[in-house]
Amino acid sequence: MDAQNFAYALTQVIHNFGAAAVVGGAGAAIYMRPPDPLRERALAWLVGIAWAVQIGSGALFGAISFYYYGRFPDISGIATAALFVKAIGAGLGVLLIVIYLLRAAYWTEARRKQVWHGLIGLGIIALTAAAFLRWFS
Amino acid sequence: MRSHSVFSCLLGTLLLAPLPAPALSAEASVNIASPADGAKLDAMEQAKLVYKVVAGPHGDHVHVYVDNKEVGILRKLEGSYTLETLAVGAHTICVKVVNKAHVPIGVEKCIKVSVE
Repeated sequence: MDAQNFAYALTQVIHNFGAAAVVGGAGAAIYMRPPDPLRERALAWLVGIAWAVQIGSGALFGAISFYYYGRFPDISGIATAALFVKAIGAGLGVLLIVIYLLRAAYWTEARRKQVWHGLIGLGIIALTAAAFLRWFS
Repeated sequence: MRSHSVFSCLLGTLLLAPLPAPALSAEASVNIASPADGAKLDAMEQAKLVYKVVAGPHGDHVHVYVDNKEVGILRKLEGSYTLETLAVGAHTICVKVVNKAHVPIGVEKCIKVSVE
């Protein structure tokens, strides 16, 4: 098996599961019945770790490219905008989760749901941007 | 914990294993049939780039550049691509083989044309 393609594929596996977790975790929190702050907190950790994994695996794609070819992917236009959107989304995702973990104990259920809706929105935006990043350059 | 260590070792080995890219991309090639290198093009006509690419083991598709600016992504490895009208003057047109991550693998063909 070719090591280079294997490295890309393994990173893609991590990236894909991270994407599933950021959206799925937030969705699970939104539709949890009855609402349970403790289980939501566990989901917040999961989603926070998943966002961090997204950032790390995204950087790893670049690192693999640089290792093998001494340069990063050659992207411009739509793809650059999509990468920017993904990076902003991931940054905001991590920020929201940190705020959630620090403050959610003092929030109402409605406030917690608002944050979860924000998080799932960021996940959907990032996943959408990923498709444009993949197919444009 | 054990599986975590195995995974870390595997990924570390993959990234640390030396693997010279030029040797692996040796089978890849780019040929530009038209326009010819040094050709004079008519400023009033759209130029058609006719190319044939062998992607090799790590290539996937090609990017087209005019004066180092990416102008197109071509997923067909053989065919033609209509360039937007070029300004009068000298231009460099390049076709680069890239991998699935859009990284140029070091296989490319560049020609110089003059638009009059």
